[in-house]
Amino acid sequence: MTRQRLFGNAALVGVAAAGLCLAARPALGHHSNTGFSRDEVRQIAGTVKEFQFTNPHTWIQVLVEDESGESVEWSIEWGSPNQLGRRGIRPSSFPVGAEVTMRYRPMLSGAPAGGFVGAKFADGTTIGNWDDE
Amino acid sequence: MWNSNESLWSRRAALIAGLGVILLLAPGTSRAQGDTPPDFGDLPDWSGVWQMIGGTVFDQATREGEGGSTTPGVREHPPYNAEWEAMYREHLALRDQQRFPDVISNCGVPAGWPRIFNLPDVYEMVVRPEQTWILSENGPNVYRIYTDGREMPAPEDRWPTYTGVSVGRWEGRTLVWETKSTKGWMDRDVLLDRTGLVLSNQAEGTHRMYVNDAGNLQIDMVITDPQALTGPWPVTHQFRRLPPGTMVYDYGCAENNRNPVDTEQGVTLTLDPDGNPFPLD
Repeated sequence: MTRQRLFGNAALVGVAAAGLCLAARPALGHHSNTGFSRDEVRQIAGTVKEFQFTNPHTWIQVLVEDESGESVEWSIEWGSPNQLGRRGIRPSSFPVGAEVTMRYRPMLSGAPAGGFVGAKFADGTTIGNWDDE
Repeated sequence: MWNSNESLWSRRAALIAGLGVILLLAPGTSRAQGDTPPDFGDLPDWSGVWQMIGGTVFDQATREGEGGSTTPGVREHPPYNAEWEAMYREHLALRDQQRFPDVISNCGVPAGWPRIFNLPDVYEMVVRPEQTWILSENGPNVYRIYTDGREMPAPEDRWPTYTGVSVGRWEGRTLVWETKSTKGWMDRDVLLDRTGLVLSNQAEGTHRMYVNDAGNLQIDMVITDPQALTGPWPVTHQFRRLPPGTMVYDYGCAENNRNPVDTEQGVTLTLDPDGNPFPLD
């Protein structure tokens, strides 16, 4: 059975290194700030539900089990499919059902959404910015 | 004590600077009309795919602060008059609170002039003797420059549009043109960048575009705006040529726009997969 879990607050990864934060800032050309943290990077683990490879921005939908055992759908926003396509990212880059750990810049409200930083799959492959601690 | 030599040199320097501005402006105003278009073989090869160099802070030369256009503290220094400087400061304060949304996020209006030269993603240049088209993938946007010998339409035959009316000519391998009748901030839907930089609908521009010694496509603009600016505002942007074979794609902005603007709240929303807005704070 696929293991899904949501890191509790105590386990949230607050990556303070400014360099990583700057490197991790996604290219969101379509809109202004949308309530995402500028400075903080957190981490969740779950299963890919859908990769919306659409304009003006792509969205990675991830099902994550919360602390009470409920499955919560997270929305992680990334760049346009055009930008990403030129960098080698494809609709198949996030296969449905794949186990993945995501790093993201969280919404300030605590809503289950954020800006994409990087992803690591169960086989160890990574996408985006993923500097091991 | 007043030094007459210094005064003379100051006046000469001012005169030279003034002449420089006039010369920069002159090609677009006095000779843009009536010239015969060049032969196709005399035109430069601007084919391929181009990408703007640098971030989307419109005037990098006067940028203050580190970061991008949405980073608190970052601003530019166009030669605004007091009224428009005050307006810009209001926009900056709202930007710092994430309360100055960019209406192009609603996928309904073009980026407009001169923001057409300040977009992420990529560009294509279609050059023909009688006309040049600048196509931006982001938007998408189309900017037309007529070089068929026509004159700039009379003021009564123009009206404000997002990209305005552009008429010019070729000086060798340099495209020189004027843009007039742009909308600016009249309907509060044309920004120059997300710091909140705006112009009035009186703004006009003279442009020179050419491939510079580094092989980049360079555009030198001089913007005038009697309503907002105290003098000419020179701004330069450069674009690098991407490797041959680089693909350009559709940019269907409304395809899956999960970041519309709520104009009543003055915020950019983030929607969940069912289309409901997430709480912002």
